[in-house]
Amino acid sequence: MPKAFLIDTSRCTACRGCQVACKEWKNFPAVPTKQHGTHQNPPDLTHYNFKLVRFSEHMENGTVHWNFFPDQCRHCIDAPCLAASAVPGAIIKDEATGAIIYTEKSKKEDFASIRSACPYDIPRKDPKTKRIVKCDMCIDRLQANLLPMCVKTCAMGAMNFGERSDMLKLAAKRLATVQQEFPKAQLLNMADVSVIYLVADAPATYHKFAVADASDSTNAPGMTRKEMLAGAFSPLRKIAQSLQG
Amino acid sequence: MQTIEVETPAALRCIETALSRAVKDIPALTPLLEAFGPLLTERARLRQTAPGWTGPALSIDAERFNQGAFVLAQTEFGGGFEDMSELLPEAARTLLPVMARSFPAIAEELTTLGAAIESGALTPQALAGAGFGESVEVPGVSPMTLNFAASELVRPFVERQAEDLAAMVKVLPWNQAHCPVCGGAPNMSVLRRKEDESEFIQAKGGQRFLRCSCCTTEWKHKRVSCPACGCEEPDELLNLRDPARAHERADACSRCKAFVLCLDTAELAELPDLDVAALTMLPLEIQTRQQGYKPLAEHPWSSL
Repeated sequence: MPKAFLIDTSRCTACRGCQVACKEWKNFPAVPTKQHGTHQNPPDLTHYNFKLVRFSEHMENGTVHWNFFPDQCRHCIDAPCLAASAVPGAIIKDEATGAIIYTEKSKKEDFASIRSACPYDIPRKDPKTKRIVKCDMCIDRLQANLLPMCVKTCAMGAMNFGERSDMLKLAAKRLATVQQEFPKAQLLNMADVSVIYLVADAPATYHKFAVADASDSTNAPGMTRKEMLAGAFSPLRKIAQSLQG
Repeated sequence: MQTIEVETPAALRCIETALSRAVKDIPALTPLLEAFGPLLTERARLRQTAPGWTGPALSIDAERFNQGAFVLAQTEFGGGFEDMSELLPEAARTLLPVMARSFPAIAEELTTLGAAIESGALTPQALAGAGFGESVEVPGVSPMTLNFAASELVRPFVERQAEDLAAMVKVLPWNQAHCPVCGGAPNMSVLRRKEDESEFIQAKGGQRFLRCSCCTTEWKHKRVSCPACGCEEPDELLNLRDPARAHERADACSRCKAFVLCLDTAELAELPDLDVAALTMLPLEIQTRQQGYKPLAEHPWSSL
């Protein structure tokens, strides 16, 4: 039975408990950062930050609105990064959970291709191990029947996890509630991803890649532009990989 | 108060998932899981088709209930579950062969028992009585085997009736440590996270529910307290657990030396079937007994 997250940003207080818990569980070290005029820290996802609470300020009718977006891999149902993969076994889908997992073999992948295939700009490369890395849905915890670390930690009920069917029901229920106060509230790319975000305002006011940017109605039905490009270039990359050994 | 919903294939899947996970996680328990697993599954199937409470809606005196008079103590006709004896021969045809395969050591006795039921040598009424602890004799079947088999036969029907009865009192407060439906003692407890609609910081610990050893009804109970003696002194209440399986624990009381198993589901991705969970906690149960504690009530496998 596939799993899903519901990330209810209307409940998020940007405490960053999920961000820290993720690092703690993965035993990642601190990363050098810099102050760039926001509480968002570090400025972007890194190979040691698979989860990042993004802070976004914008002015509306003279009032500052501050939106929080706990960004992470969406574990797409038809993952473009998996379609773009040129190395067998480098990017796999765990059928039991729906988690998209990058393996040791990802060090042989063309990082630029994988990153550009992602409509949410999630993958990062570990310069030491050369592996491409990102959130793995805490697959080690799930296999031990434990909640992903970010969900376990969330003190506000923003992070929810369970059977996809249950999360879809919860998402619909929460959307109806949030829309009473925020008419623009919506669920992001719900049909395509395993990490469903509920936002109270226009997605662009949260994060540039809050919604997939690769949708393109001029492409083949059911295929995004990035998937199409990934598919087209995949054979060439496989040949190049084989030549390189 | 909380009861299991009417059984669906999802409930059976839940048992199977929990069993396969337990076999993988604790290989040493495989023989035990393979013995009791099919029994739990077959019981769930029977519960799924059992008729439930068919009698009239009960008139519950809320004040008496609040003082500890459970539902069946308030019925007019003797304080028991409805007679399910007519259904037992059919149940025996499916359950006894499963038990015989699972427990080869008593397979011969179970076959003898099945034959006695089919021939009428053991009446359905006497079989039901044996299921509730009455002394019944069947040649070639030991009292222990008869009691075990009969209690497993009546259990699905009892649980299904209890589900309906618990629904009648779900809005009434219940602060006792015995079952609000049948008065049974708990042999299991579970901590469940409460869905919280508030905008405030949410508790992680979960509420404590005790689970009846007789009818599996669950009811909310004070978390820091001994269900046996009511002790609330933190220094006298212990949580015994294996650090490798931190979500499983035995809640023991050093004052009265009683304990009840507890499954903390706050961190679990999936809620396992509670009978399977209790089965996987057998090593913990044995260790707790070895430290001088006694369970409030036993599971069928507790004496192994």
